[in-house]
Amino acid sequence: MRDVVYLAWRYLVFNRWKTGILIAAITVIVFLPLALELVLERSSERLRARAAATPLLFGAPGSALELALSSLYFSGESPAPLDYAIVAELGDTRLAAAIPLHLGYRVGSHPVIGTSPDYFPFRDLSIAQGRMLALSGEAVLGAAAADSLDAAPGGGVVTAPESVFDVTGTYPVRLRVVGVLEPTGTPDDEGVFVDIRTAWIVGGIGHGHEDLQDPTASGSVLKRDDSNIVANAAVVEYRDITPENLADFHFHGAEDEFPLSAVIAVPVDAKSGVLLEGRYQSPDSPVRVVRPTEVMDDLLATVFTVRQYVLVAVALVGAATLATIALVFLLSIRLRRAEIQTMIRIGAAPGRVAAILGTEILLVLIASLLMAGLLTGIATAFGDEIFRWLLQSGVL
Amino acid sequence: MKGTVRRLASLGSLLALVGCEPAEQGAMVGPAPPSGDATVEIYAINYPLAWMAERIGGDAARVTLPVPEGVDPAHWQPSAETVLAYQRADIVLLNGAGYAAWTEFASLSPSRLVDTTRGLEDRFVSAGAMTHSHGPAGEHDHADVASHTWLDPELAAGQARAIEGAMVTRVPDRADALRQRLQSLVAELAALDQRLALAFQGWRGEGVLYSHPVYQYLDARYGLAGRSLTWEPGQDPGKGEWDALAARLAEAPAAVMLWEDEPLPATAGRLRAMGIEPVVFHTGAGPPATGDYLALMEENLGRLARFNETVGAGDN
Repeated sequence: MRDVVYLAWRYLVFNRWKTGILIAAITVIVFLPLALELVLERSSERLRARAAATPLLFGAPGSALELALSSLYFSGESPAPLDYAIVAELGDTRLAAAIPLHLGYRVGSHPVIGTSPDYFPFRDLSIAQGRMLALSGEAVLGAAAADSLDAAPGGGVVTAPESVFDVTGTYPVRLRVVGVLEPTGTPDDEGVFVDIRTAWIVGGIGHGHEDLQDPTASGSVLKRDDSNIVANAAVVEYRDITPENLADFHFHGAEDEFPLSAVIAVPVDAKSGVLLEGRYQSPDSPVRVVRPTEVMDDLLATVFTVRQYVLVAVALVGAATLATIALVFLLSIRLRRAEIQTMIRIGAAPGRVAAILGTEILLVLIASLLMAGLLTGIATAFGDEIFRWLLQSGVL
Repeated sequence: MKGTVRRLASLGSLLALVGCEPAEQGAMVGPAPPSGDATVEIYAINYPLAWMAERIGGDAARVTLPVPEGVDPAHWQPSAETVLAYQRADIVLLNGAGYAAWTEFASLSPSRLVDTTRGLEDRFVSAGAMTHSHGPAGEHDHADVASHTWLDPELAAGQARAIEGAMVTRVPDRADALRQRLQSLVAELAALDQRLALAFQGWRGEGVLYSHPVYQYLDARYGLAGRSLTWEPGQDPGKGEWDALAARLAEAPAAVMLWEDEPLPATAGRLRAMGIEPVVFHTGAGPPATGDYLALMEENLGRLARFNETVGAGDN
């Protein structure tokens, strides 16, 4: 038997290019559906997990998908704003804790997430360096954001408007980095977290400038009486929010009307969640409530439908490839007729010759399966990073 | 088809964001879940709120007021570490009405904040408004309301009810005890209200001055029609202020001036020479050196009674 294996092995090694192409073709045919299944399975598991960890989302009426994607993954366009009053309204129901979210601004490519301290225990985020947010003007960075911005506690980062076409006059604001979060492997790693009021200052709803009632501010003051001060546009607005100038910041308008992108509602219990959902289900409601799990299930249902088509296509291509491989082996036997005749003449039994040819096929199949198994293993261990890299580098 | 492509595009960018760690777990947020025998951790921003929380909470509450001694809680700026301590409390008691501006710029969870004057806004007293305008933002108001709300005992009772309501949600099993203690506190505040009303009876015609604009709720509650200055007890007001006061007195005479703390003897003497009796009326914003809020008000009532005896006003 060893001689049969030896001869088959020598043949495959001698025709290494042909052998390599055969192994690669079979490997790809076996690996592709496995990899597709694996990546989709694991990614959908993770997407569902983040959605499942977010019981209810409140937003302005509009696309539930946009609301869920922006609030959970900080991806896509910011949803239409809703009033901050919803936070107090939810608190008054005593059915849920409300976590406000304000999105839309960025530091480099990283989203600025305005929220409350409840967000961090809710997402199980802990501090790796520095401390949590305490005052306006401070920022806590996700692990990946800290790496890519090369920022650490004691440093600073500068916000950018949501769009380069933002002509509404929102100035960049320098945020003081006070903490960096432990890596979690979630979209939170990419975030620049600030207090909700800092987000409003970044959005231009609040601002700080020298005290116009102070006599030393007279250089900017055009007119002053008991109840009104008119200053020129040269009044210097602070771009840094520091503990020293914090008292000079103020907001304009009623806080209840300040904008939020979404509110995460964490019901006291399951019954409270259902009650809360019921209260906002009316089509006339100015607020939309969604269950992120349902939104993600809808999205993934579409993906899995497409996956079926892809798998059928892969199966057809696989069948065609296997047929081609069978043809290659048959043609190869025809081409090797003289070699086979020689083996028979020097005393090889026909069964022996068939065993050598069969072993060659078997070795190619075994090598292909091993390669496919190896690639699947690599995909299991590093698939997410590879996929992420492929997507980010524009290959996919 | 277009929708499907859009969904797939969304998923593509999502997968780029989703990492490789185990599934996320939703965590409990907000204050700790209600429990029958738990103690509610309460942080207050001024003494009257802390005192009311202690009175109502009894052994069900652990109340902290981290304002350093001698510092006016209205103008205090806590350190980041103190704000982090506030974040850990089950309940953070706010006075509302713009009191303690630092809370505007501190990162605190709405789920733990209790604005004790929410719903009482129609009782707020204006403290004047300042409008300013500059640049493209145009004119904007900095409307202000007076903030020492508890000086109106009726408003203080409303604030006490808000505190009790917040505590009941945290320890529902102790609701009966909390309600009983609230009723007792409200009764004491009503008694204080009656005694203050008697003490201030007849003051309207006296002409009342306030050393600082902190007595608006006392003024509104008892119809005193007083006027506020901005004099510090430990400082000489200066010639300008004395001249301004003399001009004011020429327009409308005054016989009494309420002070947050004992004025300098020279200031008190000069006021008396002008026919104005300085009377100390502590607001109780910060913790008293001895006793509690009611004891402090008792001392205030004593001083009012002595003044009334001197001039024959009031009926205490």
